Amino acid sequence: MDNFCVFILTHARPDRVFTYKTLREKGYTGKIYLVLDDEDKTHSEYIKTYINEVLTFSKNEVAKTFDIGDNFTDKRAVVYARNAVFELAKGIGCKYFMVLDDDYTDFRWSFTNERKYVTNKYVNNLDKVFAIMLKFYKATPFTSICMAQGGDFIGGAGSGLSKTYLDGQISRKVMNSFLCSTDRPFQFVGRINEDVNAYCSFGFRGHLFMTVAQLRLEQKQTQSNAGGLTDIYLNYGTYVKSFYTILYNPSSVKIRQMGQSNKRLHHSINWDTTVPKIISEKFKKYGATQAPMQSEAIT
Amino acid sequence: MFKQPTLDIFDSNEEALIESAYTKKVSVPVYVPQYQKPSVYELFDHMKSMQMIKRINESSVSAEDKKFLIYAAQRHIIFNFSKIADYYAHSNAEMQDLMEKSALVIVDFDKAIENGFATLNNELSNAYLDEQNG
Repeated sequence: MDNFCVFILTHARPDRVFTYKTLREKGYTGKIYLVLDDEDKTHSEYIKTYINEVLTFSKNEVAKTFDIGDNFTDKRAVVYARNAVFELAKGIGCKYFMVLDDDYTDFRWSFTNERKYVTNKYVNNLDKVFAIMLKFYKATPFTSICMAQGGDFIGGAGSGLSKTYLDGQISRKVMNSFLCSTDRPFQFVGRINEDVNAYCSFGFRGHLFMTVAQLRLEQKQTQSNAGGLTDIYLNYGTYVKSFYTILYNPSSVKIRQMGQSNKRLHHSINWDTTVPKIISEKFKKYGATQAPMQSEAIT
Repeated sequence: MFKQPTLDIFDSNEEALIESAYTKKVSVPVYVPQYQKPSVYELFDHMKSMQMIKRINESSVSAEDKKFLIYAAQRHIIFNFSKIADYYAHSNAEMQDLMEKSALVIVDFDKAIENGFATLNNELSNAYLDEQNG
């Protein structure tokens, strides 16, 4: 996997890059790069610890390449880094890369081979797991795939993702960890909820995304790890966050009340009106002069 | 009191649509089109955008502004991708080609997704087994 690397997006917490340690402990032996923006005041501390494993991008330059979705001036958002990685990957000659956040404390299996939902089966050979994911990714037209997050399984075996997997379906989401390629670029849009905005708006236009439900990453509890994006989420909350996705997908996403005791507003995606269906080639009719052709709308 | 307009497709059928999105209990993530070809008018709901366009046309904003607003109103057209896939399966080659170019369906050429998904599952199962036995 010479042309593969892992990017860890991080900001202002050089002593708390949990993902780096977790990756090594869980058997990943390949290349890792920490991705920092040029406005990070702790840059030198990162360099002291990670030396030549740090890549830096210009926030202002990246800001010119995508739609932030509002006219606020606060630049504390991960969307800049997410959009910077494609060029960074080209610069270091890595065609394939996994983009991770900096707060992962574990990687686990979500299901046994008997398809029983589990929480205590730990991944110990990440080299192998990443190689399997990469093999699938190379063989298929997916724009990006990811591992599930612990939070996807709230409700355990009865959670939405669990039911999706057990029904033999796939989740067309990508969140948090992204396996990408420089020749399958896409953009994250909107200041926050940028991952949801991306898989909804690009999914709507025919890009394929998928969550590999069998694998899950575990993170530090949201809003308990100071620095990074914590402040922006505390300021704006999920109320404002969810509306960014409405801006980009007004025909298929709406705001809905979620939760039982802790009620909150959250985006709700109608998948049937958000992403085109995948169908077998056996339904395609070939005319006399036509050759099989993939969608030209995917750009 | 002002009442927000509702989108029928969400409020009455959303759960049912999500539930029926994929054939149950199959090991490949592909949609199986229905036997009956739907009417082309079942593929989309443009009621909201038409209402917006009516209001735009009745307004006093400039012709350029109207043009922009009318384009933007298209964002509110709701496309039903199950019905679209059903329609695709029953259309002729020319129509299918145009639908593919517009990414209205994703055709799994050479079973790349189907076979890739099976291989992914098998290899993850083996890796899981190796780790549990190791």
